[in-house]
Amino acid sequence: MHAGINVVLKAEQLGSVFGFPITNSLIMAWAVMALLIGFAYFFGRSLSMVPGKLQAGIEWAFEGAIAYMADVLGSEALAKRFFPLVASIFIFVALINELEFFPGVGSLGLVHASDFLPVLRAPTTDLNFTLALAMISFFAIEITGIASLGFFKYAGKYVNLKSPIGFAVGLIELMSNLGRLISFSFRLFGNIFAGEVMVLVAGYFLPYVLPAPLMGFEMFIGLIQALVFAMLTLFFIKLAIMDPHGEHA
Amino acid sequence: MNQLFAAFGVNWSLIIAQAVNFGIVLIALRYFLYKPMMTMLNKRQELVAKSVSDAAKAEELFAGADAEAASRVHAADTEAEKIVAVARESANAEKARLLKEAEERAVLVAKDAEARAAEALERARRESERDIARLAVLAAERVLHDQS
Repeated sequence: MHAGINVVLKAEQLGSVFGFPITNSLIMAWAVMALLIGFAYFFGRSLSMVPGKLQAGIEWAFEGAIAYMADVLGSEALAKRFFPLVASIFIFVALINELEFFPGVGSLGLVHASDFLPVLRAPTTDLNFTLALAMISFFAIEITGIASLGFFKYAGKYVNLKSPIGFAVGLIELMSNLGRLISFSFRLFGNIFAGEVMVLVAGYFLPYVLPAPLMGFEMFIGLIQALVFAMLTLFFIKLAIMDPHGEHA
Repeated sequence: MNQLFAAFGVNWSLIIAQAVNFGIVLIALRYFLYKPMMTMLNKRQELVAKSVSDAAKAEELFAGADAEAASRVHAADTEAEKIVAVARESANAEKARLLKEAEERAVLVAKDAEARAAEALERARRESERDIARLAVLAAERVLHDQS
């Protein structure tokens, strides 16, 4: 018998170390980090001049991504400078989202005071993770803008005292800029969390049959969301390095 | 706002921890993956550029060798034509000499044959005369014998 759908909005705390909370999303973030860093370490050491299929595929993706970024930013040097940030956002978020429906994630856990506490939870369904990524993206964009245009010129985009309309436009720009923090974090969190809930509800109505195709669909959505986060970071960097008149810095 | 943050479990220490996690991923990927990959791509790009330039040079050399070979073949053809012309000329001269020699020999042979024929005729005529004389003598002897 089903005990009902148990949807928990926040990541469950499994314990604490010196007062620091250890949540299931934090543990999964560490697991994904270990996977990624392990793969990068061994793959980076096995690179050869005559590539195998995996290396050829990854090289193709690298070159394609850098070419696209150079196209967007208008400079290959800028593309190479921001490639690690944009690519890491995509790879980290995409891997987390793809592993979200793997066996064990959300299903293996501890029973504490008759409550089931899963050991692993996709960090993208924890607002702390999406907010952290949004802040990194936000600060990267702002610092890039200030470094490219200079503090006063960049601030001039948001504080314009030359005309009332310019002032209003500047204020709107400032609000939309700060709003990115919310939109970045809640878009990713909302999409992935909603997907997880949808699969849960589907499993309640039509177990074994309906969740499987929905999981496939949600994995696709996870990939798209990772791409959206990375691409928006790229586009906002592009906007930040453009001067107020729309010319390239 | 605090209620909203509490509902979503927003906690500054967790946000910082997740940001640090991403920072570690970024640094590790940059060090272990992006850097070696970029180095490899740059190396391969250099290798490809060098191969293309080498191929262009080889093509240039090949074109030069082709022209050289063509010029040598042409020179050999000219030389061969000259040799053939000289050989033909010398063969014609030899042929003419041999013909002339044969004609001269034929004339000599003919003359010799004529001389021999004339000599044989003379000899035959002299022998005939001798025979006739002898027959005449014999006939005269018979006549004289019959008369006596």
